[in-house]
Amino acid sequence: MRGPAERLAAGMEWAALMARAQAGDRAAYHRLLTEITPYVRSIAARYHRTREDVEDAVQDILLSIHTIRHTYDPERPFGPWLATIADRRALDRLRKRLRSAGRETALEPAHETFAAEPTNGESAGLEAEELARALERLPPGQRQALELLKLKEMSLKEASAATGLSITALKVATHRALKSLRLVMQGKR
Amino acid sequence: MATTAALIDQLTADAAPVRRLRRPTWRALGWLAVAALLIAAITAVAGIRPGLLLLFRDPVFALGRAAALATALTGALATFQLSVPDRSPRWLILPLPFAALWLGAMGYGCIADWLVEGPAGLQLGHSVDCFRAILLTSLPLGALLFVMVRHAGRVRPIATALTGGLALAAVAEGGMTLYHDVDASLMDILSHLFAVALVVGLSTSGARAVFRLLGPRRRPG
Repeated sequence: MRGPAERLAAGMEWAALMARAQAGDRAAYHRLLTEITPYVRSIAARYHRTREDVEDAVQDILLSIHTIRHTYDPERPFGPWLATIADRRALDRLRKRLRSAGRETALEPAHETFAAEPTNGESAGLEAEELARALERLPPGQRQALELLKLKEMSLKEASAATGLSITALKVATHRALKSLRLVMQGKR
Repeated sequence: MATTAALIDQLTADAAPVRRLRRPTWRALGWLAVAALLIAAITAVAGIRPGLLLLFRDPVFALGRAAALATALTGALATFQLSVPDRSPRWLILPLPFAALWLGAMGYGCIADWLVEGPAGLQLGHSVDCFRAILLTSLPLGALLFVMVRHAGRVRPIATALTGGLALAAVAEGGMTLYHDVDASLMDILSHLFAVALVVGLSTSGARAVFRLLGPRRRPG
């Protein structure tokens, strides 16, 4: 921790560096920004907890210092100027974060696991298997009618021509097949 | 996300020389001078209000007008002080007592008129003109003021806009004393109060958005 005398000396040095930076001295400006970063970080850390948040706040503060560097008056102390910007920016960022936190829910691993395709594919696969087995157990006439009309999507006329059965017989067979399949699948649940 | 060290390099590369702002007091006086010129120009066109000096014999009227002037002066000074990061946030307090006196005198006028005239005072008359004049004067002066303190968006946007709104409304409403022939009816005063509330309210509530729009951006070097 720096003592008051050291802080004062650092402040005066920073004031001189900023005055040179305002005149376009890039080396002075680079030194100033590098030297104030730990101090700025300590202020940001008062408002933010995670390392990313603190670093984001530090960058926001440095950017603000850059955009309003013309507002610094070298005849006045540099410390209060810097502290106000750092404090206001860090606080403003915290306020924004809290506001968005109220509207958002963080995604947890469980959300992703349950929403992902492979997690839910399993039961769909099971049902398909069950259905195929139920289809096999249907009487041959009913099974054939279903296969032609629903799976191969033939029209009644086409199916009638293919099987030699009447349209009415095909309708009745399909109806019965669906009814027994429905019973089988419902019983399963 | 870029690292902080990389950002510092980038900012250093952008660091073109900048022109320092003048002292807040000088800048406030500059804005007040423009405001005075505008009011003088309007008065020159509209003509000075007849019997103006006689009105100042009424102590409440004189006190209210003096308070409006004081609100304009202290409000402008506070706005420019607050817009700079190293100035005290306590500047916010400076214009408040004057504003209270100014608005209080107007409120007193309302009650006095109500006691004498009753509901008869609630006639539209000049009040639409008053309302329009206050808003139309505030608009260009407000635009100038917000542009002049646009760097405040990153520091104290709301406090700056609040004192700025007070200064604006005080200039616009106080300035009308010179050129507007009002009969100080209840409706007139109410329209003044409403316009003042609108100017201060709009300045303050829109502050963040306006500063975001006007605010200085990083210029590539």
